[in-house]
Amino acid sequence: MRSRLGTQVVLGVALTSVLTLGAMIAFVLRAHRAALTGELHRVADQLGATIKTATHDDMLENRRDRLRRQIEALGRQEGIQSVRVYNKEGRIVFASDPAETGRAVDKRAEACYACHAEDRPLERLPTPARFRIFRGPDGERLLGIIHPVQNEPSCWTASCHAHDPEDTVLGVLDVTVSLAQVDRNIASSQRRMAALAAVAIAASAFILWWLIRRLVLKPVRALAAGTRRVAEGDLTATVPVAARNELGELARSFNEMTVRLAEAQRQLTQADKLASVGRLAAGMAHEINNPLTGVLTYASFLLKRCESDPALREDLEVVVRETKRCRDIVKGLLDFARPAPPRRVPADLNDVARRAARILMNQLALNRVGLALDLAEDLPAVPADANQIQQVLVNLLVNAADAIGEEGGTIRVSTRLVRLPPRGNRPIRSARCPKGCDLLDVAWRIGGLPSIRVLRRCGDQEAAYHLDPTYGRFNHRAGAPCEEGVLAGFECPRCRTALVVPDVRCDSCGAPAFAVSTVEGGRVLWCTRNGCHWSRWDWAEAAGEEPGVEIAVEDTGRGIAASDLPHVFEPFFTTKGPRGTGLGLSISWGIVNAHGGTIEVWSEEGRGSRFTVRLPVGAVAPASPAAAADAAAARA
Amino acid sequence: MRPRWDVLVVDDEEVVRSGVSRVLSEAGYEVATAADGTAALAHPAASSCRLVLLDLMLPDRSGIGLLEALRELRPDRPVVVITGYATSESLARALEAGAASVLAKPFDAAELLDAVRTALAETAPAGARRDPP
Repeated sequence: MRSRLGTQVVLGVALTSVLTLGAMIAFVLRAHRAALTGELHRVADQLGATIKTATHDDMLENRRDRLRRQIEALGRQEGIQSVRVYNKEGRIVFASDPAETGRAVDKRAEACYACHAEDRPLERLPTPARFRIFRGPDGERLLGIIHPVQNEPSCWTASCHAHDPEDTVLGVLDVTVSLAQVDRNIASSQRRMAALAAVAIAASAFILWWLIRRLVLKPVRALAAGTRRVAEGDLTATVPVAARNELGELARSFNEMTVRLAEAQRQLTQADKLASVGRLAAGMAHEINNPLTGVLTYASFLLKRCESDPALREDLEVVVRETKRCRDIVKGLLDFARPAPPRRVPADLNDVARRAARILMNQLALNRVGLALDLAEDLPAVPADANQIQQVLVNLLVNAADAIGEEGGTIRVSTRLVRLPPRGNRPIRSARCPKGCDLLDVAWRIGGLPSIRVLRRCGDQEAAYHLDPTYGRFNHRAGAPCEEGVLAGFECPRCRTALVVPDVRCDSCGAPAFAVSTVEGGRVLWCTRNGCHWSRWDWAEAAGEEPGVEIAVEDTGRGIAASDLPHVFEPFFTTKGPRGTGLGLSISWGIVNAHGGTIEVWSEEGRGSRFTVRLPVGAVAPASPAAAADAAAARA
Repeated sequence: MRPRWDVLVVDDEEVVRSGVSRVLSEAGYEVATAADGTAALAHPAASSCRLVLLDLMLPDRSGIGLLEALRELRPDRPVVVITGYATSESLARALEAGAASVLAKPFDAAELLDAVRTALAETAPAGARRDPP
């Protein structure tokens, strides 16, 4: 396909060149021929006039022998075909070819025609009419020119053979010269020019072919290879941006497209995985909850019946407790698949950590894994769903034990009070436009919190825009796409008041800022430029860091490969092979995220890993009516 | 003598039927069981018992359909739905169709007895029958 494109263009240009150059050459040759012929006319005319002058005296004195010799000598000259002198009756009196002498010509013949076309002959002829071009016996072109010999007083007063004074024209001198040389010149010009044109066309076709190859075919071929790779599913394909022209622009757009496609595919895969988790969880819940019902009803029934046997009772209590934990795990999986807000009540995270450790203590001891608890004793209560956080810790402990394997090692669980920076931790629970319309949207939550709904105008498109209510987070949801870098307009969706403020500009890119008012502490600001992650919440910054509780689970295991590290929280990502479901950490992430907390991982291959969970102490303290209502909605 | 039933348990899982029967019998209730919808409607307890415990996922017919049929048979008799996995929509439909309450599987003996006692106390006419201890 690519060679055909090149060939087509080159052939098209070559054909155009042939036509234009051909026309040009024809025009030039014509002019050249005209110039040469014109020059020859002049020379021939002069020759005729010269012969007439040279022979004037001999004619006047009727020296016929001398005249004949002269004319014969002239006729032998290079380029001169023939010289003839006709008398008035059309008989050749003198000729360069003696054989012609005495021959009569028809007055209608070519040489005579100019004057004798009419019955009454013309007596004077305009110069062009005295010329004629015809083909000689050898096929060469000949130019004939006639010079009428005018009567003059000396002719009729001369003693010899006086002409009649009444006659105007006494005869005609006819000189014929050959055009062979001119024709040869023109033919050679024609050949030279045609050769030149052929060389020019070939050269331009080659240059064109080279340019097309370099400027068009190479980038197009790279693009085609790129699209093929994308078609085969390789979204990492990039095309080199070779030039700053339209094809370079196309390559840039292509690269941008693959990046966006890859991003969209990642999101789609994530959504797909979550949907699969949902289906799996639903099926599992149904399948597992039935046998669990059997275990739980029988065990609890037995428990009631053996009050007299404390040893048996204790064992049965373990069965009932652990069966209930199974129930909670299945429920947690369902909650992950259909995220339900955690039921947060003030919880002692040290207690949660101890419970999690106790669950795994025996198993860890069997595997020669030491478990050290390093718990800060002055921890404040954290609003948290203790079951969910315990599930997270059990998960992290199981992973740590798996990472240690059979060689033995140590797991250290520590808690401490930390200061959490405002960014990523401070949410707003109220938002109003300058005219007082409520902008909070409880139906659309971001990070588990009601979003702030505004109207965004991007280009000529207007759509709802949900702002992330947490300071320093930018998980906004757009109702309609908007190009990166565009300065968007923001309005109140109810009263259409503009939210852009005149006095503040983005510190990061200098674009105008827009604001909403909060009861937490005045206005909060974002940048209007799409994609710019800048916000300024003075009250959040002023409040400074807030207290939080950090729980770290650290192991001396094999660590996680740097290439795996970014994926550990993705659903179904596992390094444990068939033993892992790839759900533990993604469920943990979902739980911590729903608590408004963060979970981080540090790992070095061969040295171990550390997972750090940080939960805010005051994030859901029901300080405002809105928060209380939110908490009530979460329980419903 | 024609037996009198207190509770009809409809569930396709044998272990659930036997476990529930065991707990309720021990508490003094007369329990009948059925493994699917057809057996449930064919059972004499379907019209005579005081309470039905009904699983929403049955092999032969939809739990909601059976719930409606049972309600039609005896509109005054409570039906408690027991389910291992229910979406909020199916729960809403069950409550709309007249379920007295929903008991999520797995449950222990105390939770089961609580649900049964609550359902019977709420609907049984006072003094119609002595509740077992």
